[in-house]
Amino acid sequence: MREFDWVILLLLVMLLTCGIIAIYSASTTQIGNDFQTENYYLKQIIWIIIAFIITFLIIRTPYSVIEIMIPPAYIISLILLIIVLFMPEIKGSQRWIPLGLFNFQPSELAKLTTILLVTKLISKPHITNWQIISRSFIIFLIPIILIFLEPDLGTSLCLIVSFFVILTASDISAFYIILIISPLISIIASFSLIIFIIYILILIYILFKTNLDKIIIGFAVVLNIFFFLITPFIWNSLKEYQQNRILTFIDPMRDPFGAGYQIIQSRIAIGSGGFWGKGFLMGTQKNLNFLPEHHTDFIFSVIGEEFGFLGCAIILLIYFLFLYRIVRKINMLKRKEFRFAAIGILAYLTFQIFINIGMNIGIVPTTGIPLPFISYGGSNLLINILAIGLVLKFLNERSIFE
Amino acid sequence: MYNGQQKPLLLNYTLIGVFLILFLSIFKLQIIESTKYTTIAEKNFVRIKTLFPIRGEIYDRKYRAIVLNKPSYNLYISLNKIQDKKQVTEFISQNFDLSLDEINKIIYDNRFRLYKDVLIVQNISFGKMVKISEQMNYYPSLSLKSEKIRNYLYNNHFTGYTGRINENEYTKYKEQGYSINSYIGKSGLEKYYEDMLRGKNGYQLLQVDASGQNLQFFKHNLDEPPVNGTSMILTIDNDLQYYISSIFPKEKNGAIVVMDVKTGGILAYVSKPDFNQNIFSENLTAEQWSNITNDPAKPMLDRIIHGTYPPASIFKLVIATLALEEEVITEKTKLSRCEGGMWFGNRYFKCWLEKGHGRLNVLDAIKYSCDVFFYDLSTQFSLEQINNFTKENMLTIRTGVDLSGERNGFFPTRKWYIDNYGKYVGIIGHKVNLAIGQGEVLVTPLQICAYYAALGNNGKWLKPHLLTKTITDTESNYIQPEIRQLPVSQKNMSLIQKSLFNAVNESYGTGVAASLSNVSVFGKTGSAENHMGKKTHSWFAGYARQDEFEIAFVVFLENAGHGGSISAPIARKIIQYYYNLEKS
Repeated sequence: MREFDWVILLLLVMLLTCGIIAIYSASTTQIGNDFQTENYYLKQIIWIIIAFIITFLIIRTPYSVIEIMIPPAYIISLILLIIVLFMPEIKGSQRWIPLGLFNFQPSELAKLTTILLVTKLISKPHITNWQIISRSFIIFLIPIILIFLEPDLGTSLCLIVSFFVILTASDISAFYIILIISPLISIIASFSLIIFIIYILILIYILFKTNLDKIIIGFAVVLNIFFFLITPFIWNSLKEYQQNRILTFIDPMRDPFGAGYQIIQSRIAIGSGGFWGKGFLMGTQKNLNFLPEHHTDFIFSVIGEEFGFLGCAIILLIYFLFLYRIVRKINMLKRKEFRFAAIGILAYLTFQIFINIGMNIGIVPTTGIPLPFISYGGSNLLINILAIGLVLKFLNERSIFE
Repeated sequence: MYNGQQKPLLLNYTLIGVFLILFLSIFKLQIIESTKYTTIAEKNFVRIKTLFPIRGEIYDRKYRAIVLNKPSYNLYISLNKIQDKKQVTEFISQNFDLSLDEINKIIYDNRFRLYKDVLIVQNISFGKMVKISEQMNYYPSLSLKSEKIRNYLYNNHFTGYTGRINENEYTKYKEQGYSINSYIGKSGLEKYYEDMLRGKNGYQLLQVDASGQNLQFFKHNLDEPPVNGTSMILTIDNDLQYYISSIFPKEKNGAIVVMDVKTGGILAYVSKPDFNQNIFSENLTAEQWSNITNDPAKPMLDRIIHGTYPPASIFKLVIATLALEEEVITEKTKLSRCEGGMWFGNRYFKCWLEKGHGRLNVLDAIKYSCDVFFYDLSTQFSLEQINNFTKENMLTIRTGVDLSGERNGFFPTRKWYIDNYGKYVGIIGHKVNLAIGQGEVLVTPLQICAYYAALGNNGKWLKPHLLTKTITDTESNYIQPEIRQLPVSQKNMSLIQKSLFNAVNESYGTGVAASLSNVSVFGKTGSAENHMGKKTHSWFAGYARQDEFEIAFVVFLENAGHGGSISAPIARKIIQYYYNLEKS
């Protein structure tokens, strides 16, 4: 294989290794002088091997073949997302299709196929701005809604972030992106009049700078003021428990017996790790009853507790080098759809890392997103490795189009 | 337009920004605030304490106790505090009746509940508690707690019992706040009114450090106090309940129910044999458990709603009213002469009286309980007609009493016969048998009691119930239960009532053994042939009236003999006792 990027692969293997070690520790309990370990780490190794075999096959498959498979793969993802809504609830949501040996999570597959389909469609030549926006909007919206219904807020947010990042990266002018995002900011800003006025002034200034038609600018401003006015009205019409749910999402400390407790326990675990950590298998906080996801969503708290600041910094460094290397390589991709797809994948991986670690240290709301390559979890791990496999394939293929 | 260099540059900055935020936050947490969190972690300062509610108690209609709570001392182990596992397990094993393997299994099963107290031994005697509490200092993982368990003041089937939650129930109900050590209603009222009796958990967040300083992670104080369970007042009368238990024939199995005709409230609910429900909240040994479950008399079976039996002659009223309603017969119609039996095709069906009753009208047929009269009537109706009419009288379907696990009973259909006896089954022969309440038809004693209460109430059927109000209510709010009207006209109802009166009060009536001089007693006997033994099941069901007090009753005894000679005298004693009680 020509020009295969071994550095990315090496960094990936390092992350996976850290993951296996952390999972081993997270699923070990110490009672007195007695250790007991569940076999999650073995399952993780099997998943990694399966993922690498599939990735190897994909890299060997000509891209033209993969390209033909993208639309059907997207359709299949949507069908699976509909099927999953009829599956029995596990922990209050319907995210998994039980397949005997393991539970398959279709939203993970949908994440990848959606990005691939959108980037394929918006990379066609002679495409207008509105075509890019409308196509990507519709293709993203269907899976986002279906995933939101499960409910799986975390994965929906991942897709929304990928959508905006791909739009930003594509050739459309910044105005459209501002136009799409601005009502969201208006809604948030509507809770304070002063902040909203400052925001509207900045918005008008930016829009004037883009030298656009005054009618369009006027429309955008009116739209934002409309959202500003309607939000308090909608908010007050919500039932108290609905308001509470939203407030708890923004500030988990409002819920000391649920999300807030999880975050506090996770902070205690990480904070008590100090600089050097308590040592492998020596964590005391990992088996708190309120942190049942310690080998999945809260694995970072185990790393923080047992390997300390040093361990956390090393993990952050590997992640950073890994993602930074991909960003630099994206620069070299000349084929648009490869570039967009790689940026989309990069965006959601970065988002997941930020949200998961942020949740563990209590700086972002709890959403139930696993830590890429490190958390235990079949579907998520498989799809993330495949996504990196695709990026490697794009990098590998670039020479043909140069 | 697009600039190949600019966009990835934006990505670079975003990436650096994201990782910088994470790095600095982690630095703050693990380097700057490390000491604070280390102490919290070591002392386990921040934790949630669940405050369990006290279960509601159960009283009879005159506010006399049936089920109360009593204290119990239990030993718990906290796995995270174990220092030397071997030492602790040996200590427990030496002091209590538990093997090392059993203790290790409990520890293994709870290995991911490190910070929860796990129950090891319950109901420790006071003496034992004093003895081990001296040594408790050496084992910081062990703790003794005083908790409340149920105290059932007398054996009965209606209150049911509570027991420790099992793994299945725990997975199913843990969202509702049950802990691994919770008690849960397993049968009877305890199960039916579980939500009401149990109350609601409270929660308290402990976030105080060693110096008593509030750590203030949570600004909003959301501690919730527990809501104790509601205590209930039943329609049961303890005096009547005790009396019936005391006169219940020894060594006999059966069921006696007494119901208030005007309200549907159950005054007495006795199923024998019974068992001591307290054993389920004490240390039930495997031997005790197997003794109860393997007892051939089935003491755990609530014969009133879980037992289904052929109703025999007490079912004849259904056929009689059906015939009157369909105008197949009138008050005066006399059917075939009873000469001690009747031929159907090549089969001879015997009447219980060998010498025969002669030609009878419906009044006398009920009074003497002549089988031939009803054999003859059965030919006038289809199986489906009889089935539907039975169901309209609320027989062979659940009454809806406020107890868990009530059974339907059974009435066969044509399809059922074909499925079980093949295509060429002779339905007529089976129907003849069903007309005298024999064969496949099965009812629960409670259905019979509710049916006879409805006859006493001029056809107004009331749903039988036990709960009348909660202890805080001043008026009974459960007193208006579901009401149905039996499909019987007023004229026919009077006729049926008259026949029931004659059966008890006229000479040669089958139920004369229940007659009383100062109370009007109405009733019907039944003697059901069955597979369980040689002797017939003995039934006597009816109602009694004196002034404004009117009660319905059913006395059912398995394989005890004839209804008229066995059950009717018992009913007589109960009626007499009840009216003396009401007068005094």
